[in-house]
Amino acid sequence: MVKSFLRLIVAFSCITLLFLCPPEANAVNDFVSAIQGRGYLKVGLPPYNTPPAYYLDPKSDELQGYDVEFARTLASKLGVEIQFDRSSTSFNNLVERVGNGDFDIAIGKLGLTYNRLFDAFPIQYLSFRHAFLANRGFIASLGVDPDDPKFGETLKNSNIRIGSIQNSTWETEAKANFPNATFVGFKNWPAAKKALFQKDSVIDAIYRDTTEIKPIVYRQPDLSLEYVPILFDELIDRKSIYLSQEGWLGLKDFIDMTLRREWGGIKTDINILDEFQSFYLPS
Amino acid sequence: MRINSSLVHSLFSSVFTFLPRLRKPRNFFLYILPFSVILGRFVPPSYSSTLNEIGVSLVQLIAFPAIPLVLSAVMISIANIFGSETRSSSDRVRFGARFIVSLLAAILFASSLALLLSLYQSPGILSPSAKLSIGRFMLDVTDIRVGAVSTVTQVNDIWISKLIPSNIFADASEGQTLKVITGSVIAGLAIARLRADCTQPLITLLRSVNTISVQVLSIVLNLAPLVLICLISAAISTINAEIVVALLNFTICVFLTAIASLGISRLIFRRFTSTSERSGISVNPVDSVFLLSLSTGSSMTAYPLLFETLTGMGRDESEVEASASLSLLIARLGNVSYNVIAILFALNLYDVSITPVRVVEVIALGAITGISAAGLTGVATVPTITVALLYFQVPAPPILVLLLAIDPILTLPRAATTGVLAMAIAVVSSYKSPSQKDLKAAASPV
Repeated sequence: MVKSFLRLIVAFSCITLLFLCPPEANAVNDFVSAIQGRGYLKVGLPPYNTPPAYYLDPKSDELQGYDVEFARTLASKLGVEIQFDRSSTSFNNLVERVGNGDFDIAIGKLGLTYNRLFDAFPIQYLSFRHAFLANRGFIASLGVDPDDPKFGETLKNSNIRIGSIQNSTWETEAKANFPNATFVGFKNWPAAKKALFQKDSVIDAIYRDTTEIKPIVYRQPDLSLEYVPILFDELIDRKSIYLSQEGWLGLKDFIDMTLRREWGGIKTDINILDEFQSFYLPS
Repeated sequence: MRINSSLVHSLFSSVFTFLPRLRKPRNFFLYILPFSVILGRFVPPSYSSTLNEIGVSLVQLIAFPAIPLVLSAVMISIANIFGSETRSSSDRVRFGARFIVSLLAAILFASSLALLLSLYQSPGILSPSAKLSIGRFMLDVTDIRVGAVSTVTQVNDIWISKLIPSNIFADASEGQTLKVITGSVIAGLAIARLRADCTQPLITLLRSVNTISVQVLSIVLNLAPLVLICLISAAISTINAEIVVALLNFTICVFLTAIASLGISRLIFRRFTSTSERSGISVNPVDSVFLLSLSTGSSMTAYPLLFETLTGMGRDESEVEASASLSLLIARLGNVSYNVIAILFALNLYDVSITPVRVVEVIALGAITGISAAGLTGVATVPTITVALLYFQVPAPPILVLLLAIDPILTLPRAATTGVLAMAIAVVSSYKSPSQKDLKAAASPV
């Protein structure tokens, strides 16, 4: 009898406690909530035009490109509008700003470097090989057949004069990968290209990823006689979307899922060159 | 069953009477070339690789008697020439001197002729449209990949190492023609120093090998028309006509060199043969050698014709054998002239100024790289110029890509140049056979 009474008391106490406990709050992603509350996703883009990744279409006066489309997809999955910011002064400045929380994400073929890891958090979405467009005369002056296995080392240790965009990942990479080289920084990519094609040029090669180098000869095939694309299979530029610390905690899984489902995983330069063949290949 | 058997037999015999007829140079131009071009235009590019493979396999079949032929011809001829019992030392010196001088003169002539024609024709100075065509052709092809596993065989080995024989049978089985030649020369000299009764069994065996090899060559040569049909139609199906037009000056230079070599060889043939020697010949044999090499794309195919013609004229068999086989295989005069033109093409293409010193360097490197093609056939001879291009610090990959693109056409005049200049060397260096010399000596007092 006493035993049954005690059981009844315990059961009653449990039920009472259950009803007395406050209801547990739903898990909330503050970062996503803030975006949704604001009603738009703030996306930082580099202050350049780099078709087909990101560029201002002169006809429609709208931003276009696969990076822009990915950001739009992300915004639509978040259920918000999108706002692009192109006011950063350089690639590095863009990464610094996203790290400071000026934008929700920064996108635009941004390479991965140690310095950028100090400022922001990356999520890789592209895998592009490093590439040169080099003067054939300089390559011949190395005195090593390009098919010779020693060619790679000879080139890496040569006194090659490399040109690319100043304050970009390529400046950092050039100094890291080509210790004896001289880096010449240019205001933008067209300026670097123009410098290479000048007579008595101050540079022997321009340095960027394969999707930037190959289209130069695709668009102007007669350059193939004087200049040669050199593709570095072992130097990979892990193009990443950058986020702040809060953004990385709040948006990483969301971006990962969008990359897997909508983007099709990490894409290589070969994928991009194939996918945008109509843009890259000459008519 | 009997009907079927006789049908097969008659079909077989008609094919083997039809094919040799097609080998005539006239038929090459009238039937084989037009038929191959038309076939090439209609064959889809997907089938062209099969056609090319068949052609290459047949070339391999035609080339297979080459090594035993070289080995036996060189060994026997050197043994005969340097054998103390068969001829005087003055004869040996005369042959050796004439052969070396004529060989060097032919190399100098071939490279100088090619150089003059190239300076006149200026291959490599291209119009903007030609540069665009070439650029389009080279897209993606000449990219340099650092870190990728290289599948390309290195061609710029030290040339001297290709000459030194290690084991004559191993060299022969590996197709190392240059090593086989030097090994055969050394073995021939050794045989010449031994007593005839010691060496006779080997000489008999080698003579038998030589006769059989010539016979095999003449049988497999019947397949030459099929080879040409397969190779030319496959080339037409895949070759980029734009490239041929862009490199027209280069192509013209190579053909002009072949024609000029034919002219010079004809003059030499007339100058170094007597009227009595030529009396039994109705067609100029130099023309036949030229057309046969041109129509088969292989100078080696001219060897039996060259040998038969000169021995038929009463020339010393051993001297003809030695001079013909050595000049066909070692001198590779078609490659010498081709390489000189190719080097000048590259220098012009990359705006390298042509100074007198550079002209000498071009001749020397053209000759060295051309001779280093000994033992190689067809398209495999083209990369020999890499050494010269590296020397001049001119980009080699784009040049090689362009040369390889038009090689199916240029391999024909290259072979023809080698054939006719080898004939010229053999005519100059060989002499009347001892029996004829005796007859002449006996007749002169009367």
